[in-house]
Amino acid sequence: MKQKLVTKFRWFWAWEDEKEETWLADMAGKGLHLESISPFGIYHFQQGEPANIVYRLDFHILKNQDKESYLQLFEDAGWEHVGDLSSWVYFRRPVNGSQFPEIFSDQESKIDKYRRMIVYLAIFLPIMVISIPSIYRTDYFGPAASTILETLGTLLLLLFASAMVMLIRRITQLKKQSEG
Amino acid sequence: MAKGNIDRHLPLTEATFYILLALVKPNHGYAVMQRTEEISQGTVHLAPGTLYGALTSLEQSRLIIRAATEGRRKIYQISELGKTVLREQIRRYQIMLESAVSDPELWEANYPGGE
Repeated sequence: MKQKLVTKFRWFWAWEDEKEETWLADMAGKGLHLESISPFGIYHFQQGEPANIVYRLDFHILKNQDKESYLQLFEDAGWEHVGDLSSWVYFRRPVNGSQFPEIFSDQESKIDKYRRMIVYLAIFLPIMVISIPSIYRTDYFGPAASTILETLGTLLLLLFASAMVMLIRRITQLKKQSEG
Repeated sequence: MAKGNIDRHLPLTEATFYILLALVKPNHGYAVMQRTEEISQGTVHLAPGTLYGALTSLEQSRLIIRAATEGRRKIYQISELGKTVLREQIRRYQIMLESAVSDPELWEANYPGGE
């Protein structure tokens, strides 16, 4: 019997990874099991039996060989690797009893995940600093195109700044939690 | 070996202590998880994301080395520096324990679990 594929659109910002984990678990509870992820918030699910599944997202920039041993460690520990979306790695496992399995066993390594995201974003900082002011200076593409480019540039800059702020806020929250 | 070289790595966290101890014999990541659970008598549980980060940083600080690759699994082992650091940590724990155990005032009163 061919299983039915269901595609859903849902947008999550980079700092909303825990919200995304909860949403994916809710979907599993309705019998929709993640099959693959496409860019721009497109999720492909396979329709099946409702199940109690925990989803966890990690963020890692790894070389091929390191990625293999990284995934192997998770598989050995009982996690299924569902797929990747750029540097995001999606894992899941069934819930046994009332204990919720975690991929991080201390606060510090959980914080490190958000630090890796900040490092990743910081790579784009020089590109933005160089390119965005030049958008405002040039009139090369004509006034209409200039306005569009300027708007896009401003939006991109705002998005970048809010991502940084939200990630730093998340780290501060986690640090406060660990201090009790 | 210069003492400052060792001090830089101390004190070890509970998790790092057990990871180093589990790597006295060459082992892959999941074996380190199981061994830690066992030798810590269930007091320290390592999740894979946390362990992967710990192994990466221990390798960067040269306390462990990659001994081999077995299929997709990397085999790690404690380095000489790692052993020196671990031994120094144990020596310091011993000092802590001895001074605490031999303090009569600590044990005299009705501490929880005492007679």
